[in-house]
Amino acid sequence: MTLIQTENLTKIYGSGETAVVALDRVNMALKQGEFLAVMGPSGCGKSTLLHLVGGLDRPTEGRVLLDGRDLTALRDDDLAALRRRRIGFVFQFYNLIPVLTALENAALPLLLDGVKPAEAHRRAAEWLQRLGMGDRLHYRPDQLSGGQQQRVAIARALVSEPDLILADEPTGNLDSRAGDEIAALLRRISSEWGRTILLVTHDPRVAAHADRILFMKDGRIIDETRLAGTGEGEAQTLRERMEAL
Amino acid sequence: MRVQWTMALRYLRGRKLRTALTTLAVVFGVAVLFGMNALLPTMLQAFRQTVLATTGKVDLVFTSVTDGPFSAERLEAVWGVEGIAEVTGSLRRNVLLPPDLAGQAGLNAVTLVGVEPEVAARLRHYPLKVGRFLTADDSDAMVISKGLAEKLALSTGDTLTLPSATGTTDFEIVGILDVPSIPGVEEVFVPLPAAQRLWGMPGQINVIEAVVKPGVDRDKAEQAVLAALGEMFKAEPPEMGEELIASLQMGEIAFALFGVMALAIGAFIILNTFRTVVVERRHDLGMLRAIGASRRVVVGLILVESLLQGVLGTAIGLTAGYGLAWLLLLTVRSVMQHYLRMEAAAPIITLPNLLTATILGLGATLAGGLWPALSAGRVTPLEALRPVAPGAYERAAKKRGIAGAVLVVLAALALLTGNFNMAALGTLLFLTGLVLMAPALVGPLSRLFGRLLALIFAREGRLAEGNLVRQPNRAAVTASALMVGLAMILAIAGMVTSIFDGFMSYIDHSLRADFLLMPASLVLGGGNVGAGPELVEEVRAVPGVTGATTLRLGTAAVDGLTLQVIGVDPETYPRLSGLAFRYGDPEEAFVALERERAMIVNGVFAAQRRVRLGDVLTLQTPAGKRAYRVVGVGSDYLNAKLVTAYISQANLERDFYQTADLLVMVEAAEDADTAAIQARLEEIVRKYPSFVLTEWRSFREEQERVFGQSVYLLNVIGVMFALPSLLAMVNTLTISVMERTREIGVLRAVGSTRRQIRRIVAAESLLLGALGTAFGILAGLWLGYVLVTGMNVSGFAIPYYFPYTGILVAVAVGLLIGVGAAVLPARRAARLDIVAALRYE
Ligand SMILES: Nc1ncnc2c1ncn2[C@@H]1O[C@H](COP(=O)(O)OP(=O)(O)O)[C@@H](O)[C@H]1O
Ligand SMILES: [Mg+2]
Repeated sequence: MTLIQTENLTKIYGSGETAVVALDRVNMALKQGEFLAVMGPSGCGKSTLLHLVGGLDRPTEGRVLLDGRDLTALRDDDLAALRRRRIGFVFQFYNLIPVLTALENAALPLLLDGVKPAEAHRRAAEWLQRLGMGDRLHYRPDQLSGGQQQRVAIARALVSEPDLILADEPTGNLDSRAGDEIAALLRRISSEWGRTILLVTHDPRVAAHADRILFMKDGRIIDETRLAGTGEGEAQTLRERMEAL
Repeated sequence: MRVQWTMALRYLRGRKLRTALTTLAVVFGVAVLFGMNALLPTMLQAFRQTVLATTGKVDLVFTSVTDGPFSAERLEAVWGVEGIAEVTGSLRRNVLLPPDLAGQAGLNAVTLVGVEPEVAARLRHYPLKVGRFLTADDSDAMVISKGLAEKLALSTGDTLTLPSATGTTDFEIVGILDVPSIPGVEEVFVPLPAAQRLWGMPGQINVIEAVVKPGVDRDKAEQAVLAALGEMFKAEPPEMGEELIASLQMGEIAFALFGVMALAIGAFIILNTFRTVVVERRHDLGMLRAIGASRRVVVGLILVESLLQGVLGTAIGLTAGYGLAWLLLLTVRSVMQHYLRMEAAAPIITLPNLLTATILGLGATLAGGLWPALSAGRVTPLEALRPVAPGAYERAAKKRGIAGAVLVVLAALALLTGNFNMAALGTLLFLTGLVLMAPALVGPLSRLFGRLLALIFAREGRLAEGNLVRQPNRAAVTASALMVGLAMILAIAGMVTSIFDGFMSYIDHSLRADFLLMPASLVLGGGNVGAGPELVEEVRAVPGVTGATTLRLGTAAVDGLTLQVIGVDPETYPRLSGLAFRYGDPEEAFVALERERAMIVNGVFAAQRRVRLGDVLTLQTPAGKRAYRVVGVGSDYLNAKLVTAYISQANLERDFYQTADLLVMVEAAEDADTAAIQARLEEIVRKYPSFVLTEWRSFREEQERVFGQSVYLLNVIGVMFALPSLLAMVNTLTISVMERTREIGVLRAVGSTRRQIRRIVAAESLLLGALGTAFGILAGLWLGYVLVTGMNVSGFAIPYYFPYTGILVAVAVGLLIGVGAAVLPARRAARLDIVAALRYE
């Protein structure tokens, strides 16, 4: 069953001489439970695609359908509610609120949604536990390492049990060991908890964990491939294909 | 939502210093507003209790122009006037105390008031300490003040014996009043018939008091009664010292104005702080939006933060304000006791004052937080993920500038009306106008100052100027905060300079004598007991005394207005004392006083009746109507506040039958033994219990000390005004540095030294300081002028002195703030890690 579908999705920044076509009539679909990675060189429009799919920005043309419903037609408040309940974001720079603890950060989407604090904290603690952060619940972001912060961010993305997880270069700011751990975690989220994941990365070792990979260039999807499993061999092939772009 | 409160609290705690300074801005405004409004009612109340102790709801008071007695049948004429609700007559005269009692009481006379018991109790408030008030059945009963009762060791049931027309009369004390005693104005009350018997004046009274019906115009009723009574009667001012009350009320307005302005600075600072906050937290806010916070939640978060500061600031401000009121009260208390014989109790907290201060305090914070909160709501989720875009060129809003100009013109018109309330309102308009116009002025002014700055900071100055011109609105907000702060300093300095110089010149011009002999309560006017010619003769005979001159007092009426007439000796008075002249030539004026029916009127009189030099006015005197020519306008220190005319003592005797000396000014030889003269004068004055000897020099020193105290206090207030302005500047510069992180990184990468970066920030700060100072001086001069002229309108004749020192201080403070504000942001800019700064974008 299709969860997300884009139709001729186009995004143009600026106008006239200086206009930049960041996305050029992109059509893609993502099935329920699928783990999809988007790869491509810097500036090819990966983040733009992710932002439009997540309702963070509005397209210049085209539509984004979530369960067949057009996101581009929603009002700002409805989009906010959608982001709270159905979509979880993971970013390169974690973007945790510095004055809140790990537990409070993870519980934030629920708190914003009006869930009782006790309940919200219980559910957040559960997720943090699962992600191996059970002993760091009351630490502030500045007391955590990069990998740990990213785990809190992932817990925050999962806490409202969303259908879709959007991750933009989640390992881009981490050393390779922490990066591998986060990539493995995303895999587990997909296999174990059945979440649909859209991952943007230019790191083949991370992309190698996905079910399917889209290659982008100059705002267009130019190729795609399906992966059978994970391993160093797959990563190597991906690296070669990336370099070919 | 609870999470908003949690976050707001944590953010505030995370920036303790900034939170404290921002809160302080609110504290200060609320404290001034609340404290002043708690203090002034106390002073008013003290004043009313003392001077107007027994003034109840009496609206109109009439006496004969001769101040003599008349038949009680004249009351009938008043009863016949429409709009009059109640009328009563009384007979009040001084009674000499028998020598033994006089010594005990420290008084040689009391004012015995014969009243119609029932009516009097209805018209006035006689608060009883013990016993009862008079009744119609009483014959020789008496009610006295608690002060007199203590001094004479009398209690209810005791007898007081007074000399009378028939020998002596024994009065039984039936009640003791709980009112403060004023030396020289000790009143005792007896039934009217008893008073008439005492003086052998059956059927006579000398004061008529009336109450008008609700809704009836007091002044119209007064004119109607005067018409019914005939021309031998005059109306007394309803409340003695009304002018002083008026000026206290003006003080109330002035301080309310200060409070509102202080709060305006507070609002500016909140605005500035939260602008910084929103810029600083762009990422956090965008993040909240990305994970699903609605706009309302984000706006609410910033508003909650400002509200928390508002609540904290207002709570501390109310407490501090009460403390401030006490502090001021303690400072002025000695003056009040010494000169006005007033006892002020504690600052008064009224519910309306509490509510006003609270609402304004919270309102100012919320107002200051609103705009940044709304702009926080506009932060898009993408901004969490994207670095800060370089600040685009803003354009100064034209419409706002025009609206500002209109307000300034309206303010000027308000000032021209000459009405103090209008002028005070105009001041707020003026400030608002300036704030609105400020963005439009930033461009031209920064180009002007930029050129000056270029002399010191060659290249950095250009960059700094560019930054201000690029964001005129933000520059204007900062300059406005500084403007309001400096305007306050300057206005306070202007007012203090004017009052100080004004008072000092009065003292110099009107009290040049070395010793003064005067009744303790002279300053209050009325109720004094004078001395015969022997006193001044004795004084003149004292070895070392080179001259003495006296003041005598009479009362006249001009078109129903009561006028205090002071008799002076045209020959000796100018030499020993003299007046501070506003119009007319002093020498010619005193010659005219000697030769003809001429008078010098004081500023209050001139202002109230629009009297000009050369006018001939008809005075209603005890001897009938007399035409007096105005030969000068001038005042002395003691009578600056009362409607007064100065004439020669010869004329005072001829037209007013007054020969008693009320004040003796004594001049001693340059090399005389002051101590010996003082000792001798003290001996003389002992025979005149109502007189007090004051040595001039100590008097002046006392005045200077008291003024020094208030000047000091006002300076402290001024400095407190400057502090929040500093904070506002630091905030703006910090945002400015943050928004230009990348620019600074590039500058560093291409080889700028840390020193150069610091200089850029310093130049910008100085430029902002110069802008704010320019605005502030403009606004401050305006405000100071309004306050000083406001005092004039209310009767304190104080000339406006241009506050040159104030301007120097304002410029110095402005530049100091300009330099001081740059320190932290400049350091921050210089310390930026180049690589991190470049990655910032
Ligand atoms: N806010 C923006 N304004 C103008 N151009 C933008 C903006 N955001 C992205 N771009 C441009 O759009 C293109 C795609 O950007 P992005 O989606 O961030 O690429 P990627 O994530 O693949 O590196 C780039 O050329 C980028 O410069
Ligand atoms: Mg990207």
